[in-house]
Amino acid sequence: MDKSIFAAMPSLTPTLGFASMIGLGLFSLALSYAVKTLLVRNTHDFIIADRRVGFGFGVGSVIAVWTWAMAVMMSSAMTYQWGLSGLFWFVVPNGFAVMAMIPFARILRKNMPEGYTISEFIEYRFSRSKVATAIVTVTMIFGIILEILINLKGTSVVVSTVFGIDWKVATVVGIICVLAYSYFGGLWTSVMTGTLNTLMITVPAAIVVAAVYAVIPGGSEAVFKAAGEADARNLSVLRPDAAAGFGITLAFGLLAATVSDQTFWQKVWAIKSRDVGRVFLWSGALFYPIPICLGMLGLVGIAYGLKPSDFGGDIVAVGPYIVSHIGLGLTLVLLYVLVILAACYSTIDGASAALSSVVAVDIVKRYFPQTSESSLFVITKLSVLLGGIVATLIVLSGLDFTTLVLTTYALKTSILLPLVLSILWPKTNMVGFVGGIVLAIAVGMPIYATAGELIGTLSIVAISGLTVLVAGLIGGKDFDLAGLRRVGDEVSAPAE
Amino acid sequence: MYIFITVVGIAVTLFFLAGFWRGLQNAIAEYRGGAPERSDVPDYGYGGLAAVSVIASAVIIAGAGFSPAMIYAGPLLALVTAAGCGLAFFVEQKG
Repeated sequence: MDKSIFAAMPSLTPTLGFASMIGLGLFSLALSYAVKTLLVRNTHDFIIADRRVGFGFGVGSVIAVWTWAMAVMMSSAMTYQWGLSGLFWFVVPNGFAVMAMIPFARILRKNMPEGYTISEFIEYRFSRSKVATAIVTVTMIFGIILEILINLKGTSVVVSTVFGIDWKVATVVGIICVLAYSYFGGLWTSVMTGTLNTLMITVPAAIVVAAVYAVIPGGSEAVFKAAGEADARNLSVLRPDAAAGFGITLAFGLLAATVSDQTFWQKVWAIKSRDVGRVFLWSGALFYPIPICLGMLGLVGIAYGLKPSDFGGDIVAVGPYIVSHIGLGLTLVLLYVLVILAACYSTIDGASAALSSVVAVDIVKRYFPQTSESSLFVITKLSVLLGGIVATLIVLSGLDFTTLVLTTYALKTSILLPLVLSILWPKTNMVGFVGGIVLAIAVGMPIYATAGELIGTLSIVAISGLTVLVAGLIGGKDFDLAGLRRVGDEVSAPAE
Repeated sequence: MYIFITVVGIAVTLFFLAGFWRGLQNAIAEYRGGAPERSDVPDYGYGGLAAVSVIASAVIIAGAGFSPAMIYAGPLLALVTAAGCGLAFFVEQKG
């Protein structure tokens, strides 16, 4: 297939780029202000939406926070790199990770109905152990900051590439747009704008991908034939090198990304109790088509024989490059940018809302319990701004994220099995929980550094899990999870 | 196929927005009503349905390696996602 079909579009000006970013931000701000007026009166409403998030908003918002801007691009990139095996290993664990929350969410919502954060659960689960609680709180904060900065970085790269805007300016404009509306309504705002963003991700993605295949001479048949001729393995989902290369590691990483993430736990306690299980079922199942749809752009890249050097060297850019260079109309290219912006904004506002719950419950109420409701409300809202500012400064500094990514990865993967066992296995004790995490980092991370991702990840998971099991079997005492029903509401709504 | 997906996409958008409006009205009405929320969690595990969706996603991706027509399954199913979100507003119980 002749790749001279790809050409830059001169009509993609910086003004259009700013208009897209600010326009979506202003729309969300208007909705946010209405939400604040109608549904948010205090800290309890701001961080947990009065535990009244219904089924529809639950499904839409969980899909939105799980659809990262990078994931929109990575699905195309993994298909481009590994063929359909890349898409298989990227997609299948992704939806499963969301549905894996169901048993844990049901157990904790049932046994600790007044909870707010997973760190709060650990506090009561291990007799107010300061060490265990601090480890989980720090992990959640690191994870949230990383979510914000990765989405910010990914989006600034796309916007600067497509519209020629300086990436630093794009970063600042992007974060101002998100924080401006996140500040007002907290979780309710995140849930509602996120739900709308799910619409802005799915329908435009379907139309844009179909349009790309419509402009290709011969359409899907030509792409199918050319991709198979390039390498027959491109059309197979059974490439073992894809599984070993990134698939298995990614599967564990994705599980850790949901189960060890306050963004999801906040929703567990905010969604109506009767809907918690089915929200995560529907969200996981309905998430699948998004990366499957966008992954089909990767086959186009293979069929045309595109090289990474054609689009700047980073394979993540293969999707944006195809859409903005294959000859689609301006409206369709803007729709694709909208998909990425919607994914970015919804993930950042979800992470900001999660940060506000950690700050309110795990920092202010824990260490300064006498803080008044009015002060707590102000601090909680300011924490949304603070998280965004910190992430922006890291992105703008040009620092290598590697240390932060590795630290967060180590903490989240190390915490995965100890956290799961603390929910499912009554014999799990504080020594095993803390020891498992510390040993997994101390021993597992050096293995990760020397033996590679696959062996390193399996080692971290095995060390943390085995330590909890051994300590639990030696310790012998059973914890009564049902006793957590006595835990009161830390940030209950003040009396009218 | 592009025209078909665009037309269905517009219809799905309208359905989604109708659901969103219903959900918004429910949320405001419940907030103003102020009735205490129930704290019961149904016993359904959903394991079977989750397994079916995982297998279905794998089959659909594998299918794109057998027939070029299956390439369009992704865009069509993305519309199902939007429709599913809209449907969730209509099947949710009030109060």
